[in-house]
Parts: sequence; C-alpha cells; structure tokens
Amino acid sequence: MKIGLEIHVQLPTKSKMFCSCPTTGTETVNTHICPGCLGLPGSRPSLNKKALELGLTIAKKLKCTIPETTWFSRKTYFYPDLCKHFQITQHDTPIGFDGVFYLGKKPIRIARVLLEEDPGKIKRVGNGSSLIDYNRSGIPLTEIVTEPDLSSPSEAREFLSELLTEIKSTIGLTDSGERNIRCDCNISVGSERCEVKNVTGLKNVETCLKYEAVRQTKLIKSGGKIERETRHFDEAKRVTTSARKKEFEADYGYIGEPDLGIYHVANMAKSIELCESPLIMIDRFQKEYGIDEKIAKQIVNTSIELAKLFEKIAKITDVDTAQTWIMGTISANWKSFEKNFEKYDDIVTIISKFYKGDTTDTQCNLELKTLMTGVSAEKAASISADLDTIINKIIEDNPSFLIDYRRNEKAFNWIVGIIMKQTRGKYSSENIISAAKKLIEERL
Amino acid sequence: MNVNNITTINTTYRMFSAFTDKIESDAKFTFSVSDNLTSKSFETSAGSKILEGYRPPFDSTTIRRMKDVGGFLMGKTNMDEFGFGTFSVNSAFGIPRNPFDIERSCGGPSGGSACAAAVFDHVSLGTSIMCPASFCGVYGLSPSYGRVSRYGLIDCGNSFDRIGILSFKASALREYLPIIVGKDVHDPTSMIQPDLKLGGKKMCAVAVPKQIIDNKKVSKGVIESFNRSIESLKSIGIDVEYVDIPTLEYSVSVYSIIATSEASTDLARYCGMRCGPQDGDYTLKFDDYFTSFRSQYFGDEAKKRILLGTLIRMAGYVDKYYNKALRVRESIIADYKRQFERFDAIITPTMPFISPKFDDVSKMSTLDSYKSEFLTATPIVTGMPHLSVTCGYSEGMPIGLMFTSDHWNENVLVDMAERWDCSFDVKHAEVNA
Amino acid sequence: MNKEIVKKTACVAHIALTDEELDRYSTDLDEMFRYFEILNDAPEIKNHGFNPVEIADVLRDDVPLMEIPSEDCIADMKTYDGYIKGPRLL
Repeated sequence: MKIGLEIHVQLPTKSKMFCSCPTTGTETVNTHICPGCLGLPGSRPSLNKKALELGLTIAKKLKCTIPETTWFSRKTYFYPDLCKHFQITQHDTPIGFDGVFYLGKKPIRIARVLLEEDPGKIKRVGNGSSLIDYNRSGIPLTEIVTEPDLSSPSEAREFLSELLTEIKSTIGLTDSGERNIRCDCNISVGSERCEVKNVTGLKNVETCLKYEAVRQTKLIKSGGKIERETRHFDEAKRVTTSARKKEFEADYGYIGEPDLGIYHVANMAKSIELCESPLIMIDRFQKEYGIDEKIAKQIVNTSIELAKLFEKIAKITDVDTAQTWIMGTISANWKSFEKNFEKYDDIVTIISKFYKGDTTDTQCNLELKTLMTGVSAEKAASISADLDTIINKIIEDNPSFLIDYRRNEKAFNWIVGIIMKQTRGKYSSENIISAAKKLIEERL
Repeated sequence: MNVNNITTINTTYRMFSAFTDKIESDAKFTFSVSDNLTSKSFETSAGSKILEGYRPPFDSTTIRRMKDVGGFLMGKTNMDEFGFGTFSVNSAFGIPRNPFDIERSCGGPSGGSACAAAVFDHVSLGTSIMCPASFCGVYGLSPSYGRVSRYGLIDCGNSFDRIGILSFKASALREYLPIIVGKDVHDPTSMIQPDLKLGGKKMCAVAVPKQIIDNKKVSKGVIESFNRSIESLKSIGIDVEYVDIPTLEYSVSVYSIIATSEASTDLARYCGMRCGPQDGDYTLKFDDYFTSFRSQYFGDEAKKRILLGTLIRMAGYVDKYYNKALRVRESIIADYKRQFERFDAIITPTMPFISPKFDDVSKMSTLDSYKSEFLTATPIVTGMPHLSVTCGYSEGMPIGLMFTSDHWNENVLVDMAERWDCSFDVKHAEVNA
Repeated sequence: MNKEIVKKTACVAHIALTDEELDRYSTDLDEMFRYFEILNDAPEIKNHGFNPVEIADVLRDDVPLMEIPSEDCIADMKTYDGYIKGPRLL
C-alpha cells in the first residue's frame, strides 16, 4: 500500500497573504475583507513578508532544497469560493523541494513545500444557492507534499502527528481553533491511485485512508478496476464518495503571476535561523548541562525563551547558578515578564553581578523581581506606559474600530468601555479617556 | 476649457461612458480617464457589459493622485472592452468618433480618452494610448512599465498594462507625469522604480529600425510624413541613423500570446457574482451559472481573446507558445537595450496608416487588426517608455511619430515633446457641437 | 484548428459558443496560431521573469490594516444574512 499526503497548514500571520486584512479576531462573516481578497477589479496582491519567512522556515526544517529564485503562479478554476477564479499558488518553483522527515528511523520524502492562498468558506444550502464567507479568502497556507512513502493508514496518522508537532514548534503555531489543518490523501493498493480531498484532522485522515484501503482492495478482488479519481470524505458517514467533477491538472492552465514579480529566496533562507525543536532541546539540556530530565522538561516546556535564557546564564555563570535562578525567582515571575522581552539581557546582567559578588542574594532577588514585574519606584511611570500598551493592543485587536471611529466618533465610548472592563478599575476614567484620545489621534 | 455643453458634444463624439457637467468651482483643472480605472464617483465598467453598473469601493491610485493636487474627474471615457482592440469599436457603451472626422475611428483601446483630450483640451489618462494619440492628433506619453501604479486599473495584460497621458498640449506631459508616477504599496510592480528626474539629458541621436520602413506594411502617406519628420529632427540637431533590429517582427506574437494568457485568467473572475450584473438563477449549478453570464455579457473580442489565452495555457501549448514568448520577450528587450548604448531613442511611425473609416474597420480580419499594432507592440512588449507626437496630416487626418526610450528615461521624451511642439504646427480639430 | 479543441477550451473557460461562433473562432484561432509559428525561429534568452523590468523581492510587513469598510466592499453584492450569494454547488 502506498500513501502520500498533501498537507495544508494555515500560517500564523497577523495579516492575510496578499492583502492587509486581519487573519483573526472576527466571528462576523464577510468583515475581514477588502478589494484584494474579494478579487475586485483593479485590486493587486502584495506578498506578506512573514508568510514567506514562515514558509521558508518550514522548508528548511524539512531539509528541502531552496531554489535561488521563486515566483507565484495562477491556478485557474471556477468555484464560488475562489474570488478571482484563480488561486495564487506555486507551480514550477516551490519554495522548497526534495526534503525529508524522519518518522523514527524511516525517511519520508518531502516532494515539495509551497505557499498559496486559502479560498473563502462555503456554507452549503439545500438545493438553492450557495452562501460564501470570504473572511478566509487569502489566509496564507503552506502545502507540504510527501512522496508516497507511507505504508499504512496508522503510519500516515503517526507521521502527520509528529510532523505537525515539529512544524508547530518551528513556526510558533498554537492550537487555537481558528487555524486548521487540511489534508489531501493519495492512496493506492494496486497500480492506480485515488485522491481524497480536504480531510480535516488526524483522526479523519486515518479513518478515510482505512476506508479507501478496504474499498480499493475489495474492488480489485472482485475483478474491478481502480479509476484514478478525486473523492470526498463524508465525516458523518465515515465513507469516501466519488467527486462528480473530475479535475485535470492540465486544465488549471498555470501561468506566472505578473503582479508580484520574483523573490530571491535562497538568500532569504540563509538568514533564517531554525529553532531547535522542544524534544531535541530537552534531550540536549540533559546531556550538555547534566540536569534532570524533569527539570529540563519543565524549563523547555514553560517557554523556549526561558530555555534560551537558561543557556545564556549558564554560559556566563555556571549550571547550578543558572538552574537555581531560572527555577526560582525567574520562573515565578515569568508570566508578568513575558511581554518585556526587550529587558531580557538585563536579567543576565543582574545575575552576573551577583555571581561576581557585587550584589547579595537578597539584592539580586529584589532586582529581578523589580525588573520582571515592573513594580518599583518607577511604578507610576510604568503604570501609565502599561495603560498605553493595553489601549494600543485593544485598538490593534479591533481593526474595524478606527474605521468606525472615523465615521462616527461615538465609537470612542465603545472602546473606552472595553478598556475599563479590561483594566478593572486600575485606572481612572479620566486617565483612560485622555490616554485613549491621544493614542487614537496618533493613528489617524 | 469648453465644458458648458458636454452633453451636446458627447452626443456627437461619444467619448464618455459617464460624465458630469457640474464641475466643482474650486477645481484647479479637469481631467478624464478611460473607463478601466476604478473610481468612486462614477460606475466603472471597462467598456464591458459584464461590469455594467459596477461601483468600485475605491479610487485608482492615479485618480486619487490627480484629485489630491486639485484635479476634478469630469468623466470616464469609452474604450474597447477591457482594452481589447485597436479602434474602440469593441465598446459596450458607445463608440467614440474621431474629432477630425466622425466617420473615422479614434483608435483604441483608449479612443474616448484621446478624443476627450483633443476636444476638451484637458488631460486624459488611459492605457495603450499610442494608437489613439496618433489617430486623434494629440500628444501621448506612455511611461515605463512599473512607473505608474496599476492599483485600480482593470487588467488587460498585467505584464504590459500602463497608464499614460494624453493631451493636446506638449507641456501637459511635464505637468502631469510627476503627479501620477511613484511607488505605491498597493502595486508591488511600482515599487522598484528609480525617481523620476525631468530635465537634464536631451535627445541627441535616434535610430530608425530598417525593418519598419522596408516591409511595405506602412502606407505611403505615413511614410512620406515620417521621412519629412526625420528631416525635421535633423534640422534641430538630432542625429538619425538606420539600424537593424531583427527581433521586432516577433513583438506582435509575443504580445498576443502573453497578453491573452494573462487576460484569460484576469477575466475568469467575471461570472455574475460579486460585481456587475448578478441577476441570474442561483439554483443553477455553478458551472452553468457562470457560463450563462460569461456567454451573455462578454463581447465578441473578449470571448475570442479568452479562448486564445485559455488554449495557450493548456498542456501541449503552454511550453510551445507561452513559455517561448516569455523567453523571446527577453531577447527583444536585450536587442533594444543594445541600441540604447548608442541612441537616446528609437523612432518609427506610431501607426502604419491614418485612422480608418468605421466601414473599413469592420472589414478587417482579427489577425489584420492585431498586426496593425506591429509598430506599437515593441515598446509595449519591452516595457519601455514611448511618446507619440503628431508629425503630419494625410487626407486631413493626423499621423503619429513614435519615440521609444530606455526604461525609466521618460525625461528625454518629455523634453522631446516640447521641442517638437516648437517646431511643428499641431492642428486643433474643429469641434462641432 | 480542430473544432473539438476549441469546444473543449470554451468549456474550460466557461463560455458557451453558438455554432456560428465556434466556426468563426476556430478560423480566427487557426489564423493566429499559424502566425505564431514565426516564433519558432526567434532568438530567446533562457533566464526570464514575468515582467519586462525585473520586479524582485517586493514584500509587505505583516501589519493588519483595513483601509476600506468591509460593507462598502460588498455593497454591490447579493447577500443573505451577511453571506455572499452564489450559485448551487451540486
């Protein structure tokens, strides 16, 4: 049995792939849309740098060859969720090709890694019209295509699970419900293969492959012939059915996307540093620093940044000192510190002063706490800075607010309400109103 | 500025698909644009029924930039559907008539714009403006590919399309070019341009490709006028030399292949959903629904180019035609670049004949009309800036002379237009309203 | 030009042709393709982009921004309950 997977992963960018619409934060249909992701006449794509970087990071992680230059192509087909009736994808120069991923000791070859835009989402309605939400239109996707190296449905599931764990840690993808993973599954038990499109979730992938394996085996045994075709997976009935419309690769009529130009990705990829995967890091910490597995796990699983900090401190002091402070005061105050990464190096400085004997244990502890929580003599100043940060975040989390505000200043009351609610009486309404006014004006 | 009787004038010349005669009193100047530039104040249909009634939610960058300096958009001009044509007869909302003879074509695709520039003596913006400039006897400047943002330009061929300036006054080029050029984050292809610097270098030496003159495709009247222009150029101190540019003959094919491939994907989006007419039967299956709209609302030339482009993109054709054309385009560019090591511009007539009568246009075959662009095709294919100036008249109709300069060298063209204007007596058409 | 090819192309392009159109377009396309044969002998440069000037490495920072109100963008569209209406799928 031969199984190959095409895995689509939504990339965790803040804005869409070819336009600036936000990728998250709305539950209302057709609100995060613009002429670009609606394909309105005269709109143009503009590539999100972060999407390209994340794609290259994945390609590198999967040990792909990165081409000197890459470009995008138009894949033309007609479907109501695809606004322009062509998808901007990659055809002849994927950002990565000829990679490999080890499932235990078994190499699973990666044929290519490419970038493309997601179409909108269709809500089917009876036999009447279709209804479409274009919020998803233009969300960046990476497609990872394997060679048919997987030999059973359970192995496919295991592969998928490990691959996704790796990728998630590589690109910082969290398990929030808004981003999903979809698979096209190719399977053959004989000489001809079938493709089951758009299967969501690990469990469904395994179920659908099992069903297909049985179906194809039975068909061959009874003297039938497997026809090369596209099939759909019915999640409720747990069966695959033949898709009525056959799609032929030849009909997509790929041409280069002239509105974007080309990208020198080999150079770009060189400057991307891969972070170590958590599993490897835990393993290395034990070997390199001789610390307990339990402690290594605790540090790495708290945060990769904490683990990196541990290494920095261990380097300029010693492992014991690093372990004591990391597991003690630093871990205890990590949550409040997490948003102050620019002060990262200050922690190292404070501990090195202690290590040299310039400060006492108590002094060091106090300095760390002050730095990490930001509560100190400069409390007042920092609190107002905090208020600015909170307001800025609220404005950014609600991208439609500024538009509403431009039209109707009453929207201001709404945002003040949100700020009050979030700060729970920490600031006076006077302070909130004046700070919010100032920050909003700055953005207009 | 003759704007008091626009309605009457438009009844005669049909340059506008939409216009207003309520000019804002504080407007510094009026202008018009071809109907493939999106505008909030007018419906935008690009000359096509499939976009009839479409109201874009944004102004194209060029319109916005013109408005920002006090310009007032007076109207949208009639054009060949999506830019598909050479005579503006493929226009769904009125065929513009030549200001020198209303029985003749304004040229295409942006015929209405050249007509408006000639009749209203204001600046008009359009795409592929060489032929219209030549036929209507106005100055036309098409800047380098990537010089003017295409944000808000409805596509005809993404790797060729350019917005240019049409005006009866040579001085308008220097005045308006700096307004519409410049980087625009909404169009990545505009982001690599060097700054526009007007002034400085002047045109000293020009080349005439031998192929153009020898191949007998150019009418006698045009050749005579062109030869006289060469003498005029020499008389103002410009060296003229005949050169061999063999790749020229490939330009029409390269253009037709790449442009229709691109257009056939650009036009896939028009289907009775999202914009334009959407009054179909939603219970039809999507394939049938889309097909019914596209068959009903696309005009003849659009259908033809969609078919040609779709077929070229198919397996068995794409390598032989599309990929080949991309490689040949590079060699045409290289050939022209070589000339620019010695010359400031390459000159040819703009069109091989004067504006034809509408009766004669209807007799032309598809290939004949594509081939009539054999002089303009090269600057379009190479993405190089080019200028058309009126250099003579035959049967009372204007004849165009075209200068093509190297990428980003609009400055020599702007300067040339002004020098030409000093030495040549450009005639105004007599407007009958 | 084989009419079957033109028919198939029209189907892919979602355009229905009348018999008259099929005849005429087949002739036109045939004429065009014969003209394109001129390219067989044309010199070429292998390294090509998709634009006549090199457009390279133009990227946008990942900053969410909405410049046009979403309701303006769909003002002309047929909607139902906020969704855009489209034709039947199956």
